Amino acid sequence: MANAVTEAPRGAPPRGSAQKRRTRRNTLIGWSFILPNFVGFALFTLVPVIAAFALAFLEWDSYRPPEWVGLDNFTQMLEDENFRVALGNTLYYAAGHIPLTLVAALALAIVLNGKIRGVGFFRTAAFFPYVTSLVAVAVVWRMLFNPTAGPVNQFLAAVGVSDLPGWLSSTDWAMPAVILTSVWRDMGYYMVLYLAGLQSIPGEYYEAARMDGANAWHRFWHITLPCLRPTTFFVLVMLTIQSFKILDLIQVMTEGGPGRSTLVLSQLVYREGIVEGNFGYSSAVALVLFVIVLSVTVVQFRLNERRNR
Amino acid sequence: MVTPNKPREGGRRGRVRKALVALTAVALVTAGCGSGGAADETGPVTLTVSVWNLAATPEFQAVFDAFEAANPDVTVEPVDILAEDYPAKVTTMLAGGDTTDVITMKNVTDYSRYASRGQLAEVTDLVQAKGDAKLAGLDAFDVEGKYFALPYRNDYWVLYYNKKLFDAAGIAYPENLTWDQYADVAKKLTKGEGEQKVYGTYHHTWRSVIQAISAAQTDSDQITGDFEFFADQYKMALDLQQAGATLDFGSAKQASYRTMFETEKTAMMPMGTWYVAGVLKNKAEGKTAVDWGIAPMPQRPGASGITTFGSPTAFAVNKKAKHAATAKKFVEFAAGMDGAKAITKVGVVPSLQSPEITEAYAALEGMPRDELAVKSLAPDTTALEMPVSEHTSDVDTILREEHELIMVGEKSVEDGIKSMRDRVKKVLD
Amino acid sequence: MTAMRTAPAPTPPPVEPPPVTKSRPRGSRFIRPVVTYASLIVVAALVLVPFVWMLSSSLKRDNEVLTVPIQWIPEEFRWSNFVDVWDRIPMAAYLGNSAFLAVTITLLQLLTGSFAAYGFAKVRFPGRDALFVAYIATIAVPWQAYMVPQYIMMQKAELTNTYWSIILLQAFGAFGVFLMRQFYMTIPDELCEAARMDGLSEYGIYWRIILPLSKPALASLALLTFVNTWNDYMGPFIYLTSNELWTVQLGIRSFVGQYDAEFAMIMTGAVVSVVPILAVFLLGQRYFIQGIATSGMKG
Repeated sequence: MANAVTEAPRGAPPRGSAQKRRTRRNTLIGWSFILPNFVGFALFTLVPVIAAFALAFLEWDSYRPPEWVGLDNFTQMLEDENFRVALGNTLYYAAGHIPLTLVAALALAIVLNGKIRGVGFFRTAAFFPYVTSLVAVAVVWRMLFNPTAGPVNQFLAAVGVSDLPGWLSSTDWAMPAVILTSVWRDMGYYMVLYLAGLQSIPGEYYEAARMDGANAWHRFWHITLPCLRPTTFFVLVMLTIQSFKILDLIQVMTEGGPGRSTLVLSQLVYREGIVEGNFGYSSAVALVLFVIVLSVTVVQFRLNERRNR
Repeated sequence: MVTPNKPREGGRRGRVRKALVALTAVALVTAGCGSGGAADETGPVTLTVSVWNLAATPEFQAVFDAFEAANPDVTVEPVDILAEDYPAKVTTMLAGGDTTDVITMKNVTDYSRYASRGQLAEVTDLVQAKGDAKLAGLDAFDVEGKYFALPYRNDYWVLYYNKKLFDAAGIAYPENLTWDQYADVAKKLTKGEGEQKVYGTYHHTWRSVIQAISAAQTDSDQITGDFEFFADQYKMALDLQQAGATLDFGSAKQASYRTMFETEKTAMMPMGTWYVAGVLKNKAEGKTAVDWGIAPMPQRPGASGITTFGSPTAFAVNKKAKHAATAKKFVEFAAGMDGAKAITKVGVVPSLQSPEITEAYAALEGMPRDELAVKSLAPDTTALEMPVSEHTSDVDTILREEHELIMVGEKSVEDGIKSMRDRVKKVLD
Repeated sequence: MTAMRTAPAPTPPPVEPPPVTKSRPRGSRFIRPVVTYASLIVVAALVLVPFVWMLSSSLKRDNEVLTVPIQWIPEEFRWSNFVDVWDRIPMAAYLGNSAFLAVTITLLQLLTGSFAAYGFAKVRFPGRDALFVAYIATIAVPWQAYMVPQYIMMQKAELTNTYWSIILLQAFGAFGVFLMRQFYMTIPDELCEAARMDGLSEYGIYWRIILPLSKPALASLALLTFVNTWNDYMGPFIYLTSNELWTVQLGIRSFVGQYDAEFAMIMTGAVVSVVPILAVFLLGQRYFIQGIATSGMKG
């Protein structure tokens, strides 16, 4: 806290004591807003997170005192084939999951924001995959993706695809299958966020545009999309974070298989830490994952700021 | 906050580093210090025991009841933990300095981890005191001559079969089969199409179905890095899958072995003895009509005697137990004759081996009583499912991954075994 | 219309009039809704398939659930499963526990999250943005990585095996702060400025101006927090040991054994546990109606 007060404002340097006083006042007010949440957050999330990062430079089995190993965990990572595979798979997953979910969620939200009879039902239906039991999701999608008897391949065969994918029984197709399932599962979740965002667009914009004779596409492109930018930014950041952290769905659908074709970083973190007891190495992997996500997020922030200017 | 200053000399960096280690150590390790002070154990004692899925695992309650009856001043309080993620919770609890008295060891790999970290109290004296009573699977708990847990239960693999389907096909029950004969029988028993299809046998997706049994029957070690001995078993299993005599691996991933057997979709099924209690119960409650029997596992040609594999389950005393003495008493009781009798009654195979127990087990209500069943309950050799070493879980993961690739047909048996060897060798180095 | 001209984020409405296609064929008025509904129904059906399977499985025997090939209609409808599940586990108590946790955590998250978000969105002070990034950054750390340190802290504070642990863990998450901040950013600063001129304190602005405007965002935050807490399994699993503290999700998983599982019971439990979510969602989604957020902005 002391840090924040003494730090010089980044913009124009303070002129005179009135300016200083105002800065101090604002700081106090700002912190008074943040504090109730921050106390809980700092104590039970921030501190353990920092402890976990410290562990990345230690060797620890969860019981005996930790030992300093410097960068050993990171050099070990460079040689670890599992890490390389998991990193590649995680990037692959994110590259598929982020854009597809974003588009699907936005489309759902726009359609279900209109005046349709039974909109409550359709919104609930769209949200349902997110609350359906994961076991049910895994079983049914496994059935849908069954290489010989599954409806997906039967459909593909009917439309004339000759080289049918093996989906979850194939190292090449397991990840696309997982991505499709997770888009299906998450789109309703992000639709809710988009629905909230859509409400902040003043109706007058549309009226004015309609008077100017803009068609639906133009209204979408020139009003809806720009006005949704803060929401899109939020959705994008959350999606990025969640994609890189994916674990539960993969755990029930493939357990990382066949082979290592859907092994992701969070799985490695879990396996090395809780299961194997190499908490130092596990933390190091988590730290790398964190740095990747953080850098992507910072880029997103910068782009967002530039656009807002 | 650590200020981001550049260290000018080695000493400074050393100090920062030491401070960091010390801080983390203080933050993480002192949890249990000071606790673990043994409570007074005269008079009434409440003994806490970690278990999984208490309601659906009747053997726990059976042991607890028997122990309470033998020790009137002790009340057992189970700490019920969900079976699925039992190890994760126990690891976390122990890291936090938990004082639960008795910790149940779900598998040998977890045991070796807790033991090597010093989280369990030594019980070597109990092993020495038990004299010539034979505990199946005890060797798995030997850590350089010391023991930190005693097994009370030992499940091994047998061949379940559906008598009705055998009779209908006019095939003799699976006695003294070699694996080739087993495959032949399975193909003959397969009939029907689509929803009506009945498979000759069912191989669950666990790697042990192929790997552990071939290791046991060729007397090989799954941790040395050479896995040629898997080859025959894989060829047999893939051939069955190819012929449609067993559910393909991809579909089996979403199947339940109980469903396959109890809805009579398969005529045979290699599976552990833990399933006996389950099928007995469902039969008694009228949930399945299957007329089942058990036979010894098929053997390699020319084998003498019956060789199978199994995995023991054990009780251990927490190093930080509140009631260490009573906890030890409990561990000894559960592994002894009284404990064994109690769990036999609910259809669970105890670790303690004696003619009395085997008889009691075979006499269970609903148990198949034919010669084949009796024979299958007395295997000559029960190898450990997976040997214990510091590399066990790494190797286990590799073997599972390559197993999947072979079974879905992404890799040939030769390629799969080769990459098992290459990857395991890397871990061992 | 002042708000419209001064709104910071969105670009103004299009200037160039697009090619007008006013004279559409008459039929389109009728055909379009039909097409919309037809496609909506198809999508809804696709989306609900696993749920339908879940329902059908909840009416089967345990050993009839995981059949190959899949069986959509139970041979015999076992409605008794819905009675059994209440006998087998203390379902009512578990539902109550889940409801208590979900409601408490949602309320706290709404309150502290929206409050903190005002500080991040509308008050300018040094160090603000850095602090905000730290908030979001922690979301990016997988929980598995700091689960054990966190548990040890909770154990030292003697909070494990109490609801405090779960509440403290989840009520102050960064998610709510981030969501609300993003929403506040769409509310023009001029609105706050005007209120300041009128002599309102920052707390007054938050309470009287900003909060009423953010109903849709609050609704979505409430919904998502409620659902996430309700469905959370790992958190309660690690922290709640006594059976009487268990939540519905733990209750459902108690049907999974060491070597097998009672799948019909699991599915029955899952259906029961989804009903409250359904109710909450239907209530919450009413706030997503165009106009409630903007009505106040026509300054």
